[in-house]
Amino acid sequence: MKQTHFCGSPDHRISRRGFLGAATGATALAADMTVLDVLSRPALAEDLKRQQKSVILLWLAGGASQFETWDPKPGWPTGGPFAKIPTNVPGTHISELLPEMSRRLHYTAIIRSLNTKIADHGGGYRLMDTGRRDEPGVEFPHLGAIIAQELAQPDSRIPDYVEMYTSTEGRRKGSAGFLSGRFNPMFLTESMIPENIRRLESISQIDHHDRAALRRLLANRFSRDLPSSAVGCHNAAYQRVRGLMASASLFDVEREPAAMRQHYGPTQFGEQCMIARRLVEAGVPFVKVARAWWDSHGQNFETHRELCADLDQVMSALLDDLEQRGMLENTLVISLAEFGRTPKINGSLGRDHFASAWSCTLSGCGIQGGALYGKTDEDGMTVVDGEMGAGDLFATIFTALDIDYEKEYMLGSRPIPIADFGAAPREAILA
Amino acid sequence: MKPTSLKQTQEGKREDILFCIAAGSQPGQYFFGSSDFGVHQLDISNEMAQPIRFEDGHQSYVTGLAVVGGNLISGSYDRQLIWWDIESRKPARTIPAHNRWIRRVLATPEGSRVVTVADDMLCKVWNVETAEFVAAFTDHRPLTPHDYPSMLYAVAISDDGSLLATGDKVGHVSIWDMESFAKVGELEAPTMYTWDPVQRRHSIGGIRSLAFSPDGEKLAVGGIGAIGNIDHLGGPARLEVFQWRLGKQLFVAEDNDHKGLIEQIAWASDERWIVTAGGDHKGFVTFHDAETGERLHQEGTSSHIHGFVFDRDAGTLAACGHQHWAQWNLQSEAEVG
Repeated sequence: MKQTHFCGSPDHRISRRGFLGAATGATALAADMTVLDVLSRPALAEDLKRQQKSVILLWLAGGASQFETWDPKPGWPTGGPFAKIPTNVPGTHISELLPEMSRRLHYTAIIRSLNTKIADHGGGYRLMDTGRRDEPGVEFPHLGAIIAQELAQPDSRIPDYVEMYTSTEGRRKGSAGFLSGRFNPMFLTESMIPENIRRLESISQIDHHDRAALRRLLANRFSRDLPSSAVGCHNAAYQRVRGLMASASLFDVEREPAAMRQHYGPTQFGEQCMIARRLVEAGVPFVKVARAWWDSHGQNFETHRELCADLDQVMSALLDDLEQRGMLENTLVISLAEFGRTPKINGSLGRDHFASAWSCTLSGCGIQGGALYGKTDEDGMTVVDGEMGAGDLFATIFTALDIDYEKEYMLGSRPIPIADFGAAPREAILA
Repeated sequence: MKPTSLKQTQEGKREDILFCIAAGSQPGQYFFGSSDFGVHQLDISNEMAQPIRFEDGHQSYVTGLAVVGGNLISGSYDRQLIWWDIESRKPARTIPAHNRWIRRVLATPEGSRVVTVADDMLCKVWNVETAEFVAAFTDHRPLTPHDYPSMLYAVAISDDGSLLATGDKVGHVSIWDMESFAKVGELEAPTMYTWDPVQRRHSIGGIRSLAFSPDGEKLAVGGIGAIGNIDHLGGPARLEVFQWRLGKQLFVAEDNDHKGLIEQIAWASDERWIVTAGGDHKGFVTFHDAETGERLHQEGTSSHIHGFVFDRDAGTLAACGHQHWAQWNLQSEAEVG
């Protein structure tokens, strides 16, 4: 598997994932101290910080149409009314509804060959957010929780996994499943700023600090007298709460320059993606922004004209922003839904649920920008080349992030690979 | 006489979606605009006749047709207008007309001009003989109140050709003088636009049809009422009639028996009733009392109706829609009695 090193120096030849794995183990008092020693070397610690990899998932909830986005079929009965337009990648065309993205396709790989079979919202969501089919008795971790487990700094005081889902339709909360509860998402539904993380006005800053110091004094004494991992976790939780309180400003788009806010556009989706960038910039490894609701059983074309205008501006602004900050190399931007939409156009000029031949995109970290993977037939009914399932997509995502897709978690005595059994990454998509 | 029933005389199944219809100069001759990007001709007076597709011309759905003089003019989502040679069925002249989808094409009654509306939010007037641009005007905002692209769906011209009305997605109607192209009135029908700020965070609806009463004093506005679940066209078909010079709404008629969009409206010559058609997954043709909005008669259809032509003199209504066309004869109280 490809290894990413902190820098060119042979002294620093240690993979970030390898380090994090060891560091996580260190928390459980089983660390390889030669590895942990890197923390005492400021240059390496800085490298670690710079090398931090993150994911922003643009969740097109309800199911965006592949015909009106990444796999247009103009001129075919199933193709709909929109034209296809050339992109800055020779030979690749996308829907005319995405003109801004057509100029930024060098950042992005298009996958046109998802065949995931499950075409109901709940089942499709669970499949595409866990990378595998449901199994009785096992609560699999969602993508964000796996990424957080693999990429979060052990001593991080900021959230590891943030989900923004402010529309109410189709709202489903991710889960750490059988992983540590630490990797459950911070789930923002009512407001883009987390609730209840500000200091109460009735408590002064000094009083707040004094209380924390007293609690720390008592806790340290307690843990000296009764050392246990539970007490350690309790103390760590308090540290993380203080970290969250300090991170409230990350959720404040007013702190962004007006020109940047204009670039992302005036919509809620734009503001949420700007927050997502602020979060990954601060070290949050996984942010999911759900843009609901693409479930266009009626008036599919009008709906996509509206929603694609939003997606096109916001996604292109996000890629520009990440690239200009030098973050795109280490940030994977995914656009994905629970399924696509039917080739057949129904009587209400809508498209219904369809999971047999649909599309998603991967941009940035570890991705071969401009890649076009997979192919559907001329009317978009079936995949004719490069078929991928959800597990294959997850394996590709993990590999792009330098996470071993064959890594196994232990659930009791049962090994569970982080990408489903039989899944494999698609090298043509990877940088 | 008020209509009491519709008798279907002909129908045809199709693979494509027919978005618009225009009557030809011969009895029983119709032209359709299709989702196959083509214009089709059908002579229903000959039961053996098959539809004939014109040569290729457009690159997207054909959504507007007008037969005026010896000309057939089509408009499309490809933003172009095409003047067709009806005999050869070939494009005679193609012009880039708008910057976004063309929604409707309408000829003035005296036949000298053709009018188009499109999602660039402009109404444009063209010379039928020369295809020259005459004028463009708008009173419709390019963005909805929620900062998404708006759409200009509907246009109507009064019987005497002196007035024109345009209607958009958010429920704004403007009335124009056809000589000066000055705005002479405006109306609001905001219920036609549903924005879902909580569950789905997008919009649906819009004014889809307009029709002046024969005397030009009233304006019927068609669309869809408030929708709970905007994934579907699950709202009531909604008709509002205004005395437009006074800005006075005369009535609102909402139909929950047959839901969906009202795609087209026509008035009876005596102004006693109004016929509407449209639908959701299925379709309807509905007759309303023009004074009260009361439903006089209704026929459900197997598929959504996108457009119709109504021959007031012959009492025939020919409609096209989702994979289907049909023609009916109107029957009135006296005929039935």
